[in-house]
Amino acid sequence: MTEKTLLIPKIESGIVIDHIPAGLGLKVLEIIHSYPEMSAVVTSVGLNYSSSKIAKKDMIKLQTQALPPRLMQHLAMAAPGVSVKRVERYRVVEKLVITVPETIVGTARCRNPGCITNHERDVVTRFSCVDPGAKRFRCSFCEGIFPIHELEVIVPSLV
Amino acid sequence: MKRDLISIADLGRPDLLRYLEQAAHVEALPAASKSRLLTGRVLAVLFFEPSTRTRLSFEAAMARLGGSVLGFAEATTASVVKGESLRDTARTVERYADILAIRHPREGAARVVAEATGIPIVNAGDGTNQHPSQTLLDLYTLKKYFGTLDGLKIALAGDLKYSRTVHSLVQALALFDAVEFTLVSPPMLRLPEYLRESGPAARAKFAETEVLDDAVERCNVVYMTRVQKERFPDLLEYEKVKDAYCIDARLLQHAAPGLKIMHPLPRVNEIHADVDQTPHAGYFDQVANGVIMRQAIMLDLLGVTP
Ligand SMILES: [Zn+2]
Repeated sequence: MTEKTLLIPKIESGIVIDHIPAGLGLKVLEIIHSYPEMSAVVTSVGLNYSSSKIAKKDMIKLQTQALPPRLMQHLAMAAPGVSVKRVERYRVVEKLVITVPETIVGTARCRNPGCITNHERDVVTRFSCVDPGAKRFRCSFCEGIFPIHELEVIVPSLV
Repeated sequence: MKRDLISIADLGRPDLLRYLEQAAHVEALPAASKSRLLTGRVLAVLFFEPSTRTRLSFEAAMARLGGSVLGFAEATTASVVKGESLRDTARTVERYADILAIRHPREGAARVVAEATGIPIVNAGDGTNQHPSQTLLDLYTLKKYFGTLDGLKIALAGDLKYSRTVHSLVQALALFDAVEFTLVSPPMLRLPEYLRESGPAARAKFAETEVLDDAVERCNVVYMTRVQKERFPDLLEYEKVKDAYCIDARLLQHAAPGLKIMHPLPRVNEIHADVDQTPHAGYFDQVANGVIMRQAIMLDLLGVTP
């Protein structure tokens, strides 16, 4: 346990994104920093911890008070199952588990190369969950069904 | 709020029954009163890929209701400005027309147009996804033959993997009671699992076989589709199966009485011409029913009660 404090210091107040499956931490970081309002936030990253909940995990600590709502949707897609904790005076005051959302609007690209959303400019993509257990989503346009991890995240700064 | 017909997946059993009743009602009207129902109304047909049959069917349907038609038959004509977005084209045409039928090679195109415009949109085929007026005319044809769709024993034969006609028909028929599907296809062209597992289809009864013969003896209807050469990476595989899913009069010698053979047309060699003269041939009835169903659809979406 001392290892943890060595690698990634406790924060007095801020947001802790925990239980990121090991290996996805840097991807999550990239998504976070793609948000203009998050780009200046002081961040520490810890990779490859042992965890009682999942085999190995990554963790990100942010010195900020809130996450943009769209970012929450992004997190759900990039690393479903992560938990988001809000810390004040070194204590967790709020804990959210990011679950599979019912709909994903505007934050993912359809995997079907023939889908109109990959050809017509500025169509806001829309996916709805058809199978929460298997985390499968249906594109509202081409009606193709894809597992959540196959949906490509649209990074907002590149839109 | 305006209404559209984009996907069979949007419709419930009451919607399907409403369309079937409306079509029966339209069919029973005398031609003279029918020809005044949509006087002064304009249908725009935007066909970004050619499909002469479907386009003519929509045009005939509108003409016989007294309305008129404008549009284009393929996107290579000067009517589609190069580089113009689909939505801009649709927003322009909606100023000229009361209802719009669109066919497009991309999946989801009709939905995009429906959400961008204020007039009713009919999806006349979006890539490999949906072609709901085909499904509704198939249901109407089945209803006319058998009186009800409940308890139907239907064999679907040929390319069940890629055929959108088959996919939509499974989605729609699964909403009725005790429908039994017999799936006849080569192993590599089987119906995708998700269609059997999701929604109401999960309750329906499915049997799978690779041979057509016993399906012909046991079912009320055999719905044929074309096995397309392009689907096979290995031409040898294609040669092996291409004639396995062909129906001729000889095969029908053991057919159940009242068996109907259906096909969305155009056929290549799935149904031999010698079937045409038998009482089993249903595919030209489908063509006639297509005009009636498309009339029912346009009247419904335009809110005109015949
Ligand atoms: Zn799509």
